[in-house]
Amino acid sequence: MTTAPAARRTPSAVGYRIGLTVVLALLALAPLVLPPFWQRFVTEILIWGLLAMSSDILIGYTGMVSFGHSAFFGLGMYGAAAALLTVKPPDLWLAGLYGLVGAGVVAAFVAYFATRLRDIYFAISTLVFSQIFYVIIFTWTEVTGGENGLTFSQPRLSLLGLGSDRFTPVTLHWFVLAVVTLSYLLIRRILQSPFGKVLESIRENEARTRAIGYHIERYKIVAVMLSGLCAGLAGVLYAIQNKFAAPDFVFFTVSGEVVIFNVMGGMGTLVGPFAGAAFFLLLREGLSRFLTEYYLIPLGMIFVAIVIFLPQGLLGFLRRRLNQ
Amino acid sequence: MTAEGPRGAVPRGNGGAAAPAPIVRTEGLTVRFGGLTALNNVSIAVPSGEIRGIIGPNGAGKSTFFNCLTGVLKPTSGRILFNGEDIAGLAPHTISRKAIARSYQITNILPGATVLENVRIAVQSRHHNWSMLRHHRAYADVVDRACAVLADVGLAGKETELAVNLSHGEQRNLEVGIALATEPRLLCLDEPTAGMSVAETHATVELIRRIARDLTILIVEHDMEVVMGLAHTITVLNYGEVLAEGTPAQIQANLRVQEVYLKT
Repeated sequence: MTTAPAARRTPSAVGYRIGLTVVLALLALAPLVLPPFWQRFVTEILIWGLLAMSSDILIGYTGMVSFGHSAFFGLGMYGAAAALLTVKPPDLWLAGLYGLVGAGVVAAFVAYFATRLRDIYFAISTLVFSQIFYVIIFTWTEVTGGENGLTFSQPRLSLLGLGSDRFTPVTLHWFVLAVVTLSYLLIRRILQSPFGKVLESIRENEARTRAIGYHIERYKIVAVMLSGLCAGLAGVLYAIQNKFAAPDFVFFTVSGEVVIFNVMGGMGTLVGPFAGAAFFLLLREGLSRFLTEYYLIPLGMIFVAIVIFLPQGLLGFLRRRLNQ
Repeated sequence: MTAEGPRGAVPRGNGGAAAPAPIVRTEGLTVRFGGLTALNNVSIAVPSGEIRGIIGPNGAGKSTFFNCLTGVLKPTSGRILFNGEDIAGLAPHTISRKAIARSYQITNILPGATVLENVRIAVQSRHHNWSMLRHHRAYADVVDRACAVLADVGLAGKETELAVNLSHGEQRNLEVGIALATEPRLLCLDEPTAGMSVAETHATVELIRRIARDLTILIVEHDMEVVMGLAHTITVLNYGEVLAEGTPAQIQANLRVQEVYLKT
């Protein structure tokens, strides 16, 4: 290979920009042409996609497999619920703030242990933590509504100083698209920064990264906090879209699905897990229409096939170009 | 620290009055793993600018010695003075920031990263004021320095290749490049020519000679030709203790060394 790094960069950067613009344009136009059910569905895909990307920060970039993202997601959801139920009139931005604080508290909890544990021990501890939060939420009925969860009314779309309006499915979709896009661009930039390169170095060789002078623990704490906050943001969006918070979303099966999004779509690419989420949700929707509760059988077979024949995931082949 | 040397203090090869101050000195360094004593009361002083060879049979404690120096192991007792400061038991990243670097006996690189990134990330660890919102390539000085290090270790032109795809010899040189990129004043090389061809070994010896102008080197090496050719002074370890110390010629003439080591 004789091409210089600078020469390789330009065409692929152009390709990336074109690709991103096309995808964003399609996502922005989608609600204008889709029937109401699929309108909602695409908005939901964006939210799960954000959750998938948030976990990719840990799984794909830092090499820490989290089985606890349901806790971040759930606390974002319940945090938003708290703001929407206690503050009148319900405020969109306050819901976001409360949700991020909720998710941030859990993330701080996990981050504290993340500095001590590695590999499977880290994975198991995140699973245990998320289950602790699940049990608290499930049993503390007076506050969380227990099994039934909480329902609340949707806040109005208020753009600081530009007045406010009720959400319509289309404006909600655009709002979610804007939040998810900005989050993606921010996460991507952080992962391309010197900080992000240290995370990748930890994934590649933790001991050596320590030996060249990096205080690994600090980097891991920041990575977990960042990932947890983004997952919490996804929870906030979900609460706003669906006007409820339920303990099911804190249960560890949700975390498992998030890991599957990553594996299917391609870890360490950000857009891969996003595509994985879309693929998984569409497949589940389609299969469950024909096969009712047996949909998991073909879904599982497709998952196994991807793991065997596309071990890098659907978009794994783009990994190097996406991370330029 | 007191003037009184520990028991079994090492006989110095060259009479000491005019010798430069040691950059690193261990005093009674001892490491025990349960019942096994890996290092026993090792006291070594290495003058600044020297290439010090450390040899000894397998299990003599050479790698353990490096692990103590670089913070991977906390010594059971004893001190490690680097420029007069006790660094025994400090964390590896702290020791790295005090300008001690090492390469590893078993190649220890970032396999899935490019060759450039392997070195760039090491250079970056010495540049502190970076932002989480700027692209890593925007710090051109870091990239330039990394390229310069790669040229130094003979890997110019391989920047965009994945480290895992390099040949064994190239990976060994990358290993040294990563260590060099952290701007060390003391470099510990653990068998840098292990598994290399004759030509590669020759190139690596030249590389070590070249970089030794600016720093102090400790080198563990099984290839006697390499270590005798490079080192100013050689310390022989056996069963975790210092068996002998002296110039290559003195070591080769030493009967005890021949008995435990060189005769094989």
